[in-house]
Amino acid sequence: MQIDTDTPIPLAPTDAWQALPARGAWLAALGGAALLFPFAFPAFFVARATDMVSPWLAVPVAAGVGALLGAWVAVKRHRRTRWRLDDRGFAVRRGNWWQSETHVPISRVQHLDVKRGPLERSAHLSTLVVHTAGTRMAAVSLSGLDADDAERLRERLATQVDHDDAL
Amino acid sequence: MDGPVVDTDAPERRLHPWSWLFVLLQQLKQFIFPLIALLVFGARKSDDGDPWLAFAPVIGIAVLVVLAILQYFTYRYVIGRDGLTVREGLLHRSRREIPFSRIHNVVVHQSLLHRVFGVAEVRLESAGGQKPEAQMRVLGLRDALALEDLVRHQARGPAAIQAAASDEPSRARDATLLALSTAEVIRLGLISNRGMIVVAAGFGAAWQILPERMIEQFFRQGAKQAFGYAEQLHLGWLAGAAGVAALVVLALALVRALSVVLALLQFHGFRLSEDARRLMVERGLLARLRTSVARRRIQAWTLHEGVLHRWFGRRSLRIDTAVAEKAGQQDQRALKDLAPIATPEACDALVNHLLPQAAWPRADWRPVAASARWRLLLPTLTWLLPATALAAWHLGPWAWCALAWLPASAYAAHRQASRMGWSLDGHLVAVRSGWWSRYWRFAEIDKLQALRLSRSPLDHACGTASLWLDTAGASGVAAPLALRFVPEAEARDAFERLSLALAQRRLRW
Repeated sequence: MQIDTDTPIPLAPTDAWQALPARGAWLAALGGAALLFPFAFPAFFVARATDMVSPWLAVPVAAGVGALLGAWVAVKRHRRTRWRLDDRGFAVRRGNWWQSETHVPISRVQHLDVKRGPLERSAHLSTLVVHTAGTRMAAVSLSGLDADDAERLRERLATQVDHDDAL
Repeated sequence: MDGPVVDTDAPERRLHPWSWLFVLLQQLKQFIFPLIALLVFGARKSDDGDPWLAFAPVIGIAVLVVLAILQYFTYRYVIGRDGLTVREGLLHRSRREIPFSRIHNVVVHQSLLHRVFGVAEVRLESAGGQKPEAQMRVLGLRDALALEDLVRHQARGPAAIQAAASDEPSRARDATLLALSTAEVIRLGLISNRGMIVVAAGFGAAWQILPERMIEQFFRQGAKQAFGYAEQLHLGWLAGAAGVAALVVLALALVRALSVVLALLQFHGFRLSEDARRLMVERGLLARLRTSVARRRIQAWTLHEGVLHRWFGRRSLRIDTAVAEKAGQQDQRALKDLAPIATPEACDALVNHLLPQAAWPRADWRPVAASARWRLLLPTLTWLLPATALAAWHLGPWAWCALAWLPASAYAAHRQASRMGWSLDGHLVAVRSGWWSRYWRFAEIDKLQALRLSRSPLDHACGTASLWLDTAGASGVAAPLALRFVPEAEARDAFERLSLALAQRRLRW
């Protein structure tokens, strides 16, 4: 799939799977880098317990490895994430090793959130959260969407919600 | 009750005159710990000569009484044609309109004290959210039942409302679907583990509330006394072991007895009945509870058969409803147990009666992939191997005997894999699983909220996939409605079929 970073992808809600804009990759990497914590904490305790290596060395190394690994995985996942809006509903497809494809029928959408943090705003990106009345998948969220796409998605889904009032 | 209540200027109604007492009791329940703290610490301080602190609890209670009485005078409700209007508050006034069509569940609750005063608490619940739409604490019993009837018959037009409002002969028309005899409730107590849960919760609470040393000392002294007593008896090790075993059996028997008592308290006189569109449950020994739910509000069904169930030849049938449930709080009031205990035939008949298109019990179970046999064993392996290795490292090589658990769990996984199955048609999706403790979980396709097809690396290797189906009101502890270890082509096919079917149908709550 070709991605033009300057102009947003023209959104004709076709059946084709759409990719996320590549300019959001560094934000995803930033989020993935949080993996440094689960690496750094055990490293600290192991270093303290075993006396094999000084915590002053072990913790930064482990944190760095964790951050790099997390960022790498997050960028890969970001590149592979696809979404689609067709007459059946909204779908998100993620991952390569751990694949998942989530499908929310339009008639089941309860309400929608479009969130924009300061970093996302600077990159003209948004996070779309689709809420259903379910339990485990009550909120399906997709971050790193182009802001215009997110608005259009929200409008499209919201008009559907107005049409068939669920309650 | 007065005649046709159709106009918006229908008379305003109030709660029962005794309602302030129950509001006060409820508030006291909430403030009981601060009040006790005030009493304890306030009394101690007052020795030093500060008399005000001694009065603090009295002042607190007086304020609560005034608030409770104020609530009685400010809480009013009007029964309109399509809904209920509730006005409350003195300074912060609120007016709430509750359309009848949004009420998913009506609960009429009568504790022992309520019964003494001839009143009842009414709760009107809608889907989702944390709080009930309206909580009426308390109404006279006649008013409460009339209101319940009204909500139940709301969709049948004003004529039915009149009939319901004028008197209550309509209740006689309800058909009983299931009634539990006392013997059956005792059986339910023997099967259920309520007693154990209560004992565990009691221990937890005691640990938190009482000072730490008190419990520790209690245990130490108890152990010392028991040990000393055993020493006195000069028992051999065989007799000692027998004594310990007897004690354990006694403890288990006591816990089961507690379970039976709890089951009797909760489920005595259980009666499930239906009228045209609603299901109703009435139960309880001391506190009576009437709760009802519209049949179309049922989101998913769970049929469960544990080992003890099997010994007694019984099963239980539970439902999920999308009714507000306080998070983390075990609220027993929602209608969840359709059949707390019943024979398999009765459960099947009940499902068939309430879901005629389900064709229950189903014959078209499709098996899962053969790889499930060893993949079900993996969770056990991941904890058993490290735990055993750690134990062997610390305690010596005898700990490797724990691996004898492995063949047993392999056998269990094998049996479970051959029992696992799923079934899908135009109306219903169902899964069954479990071998030792079995369950069947099913939902109407119209009630599905979202679908997820997922594949882990192991799924890639085995050519399988999992299809997770989400419904409203499913509790976190209940088994998920998921088609696991399904060959990928079948899972994709089911995913396509379901997403197509869902796109064509509207959500029916």
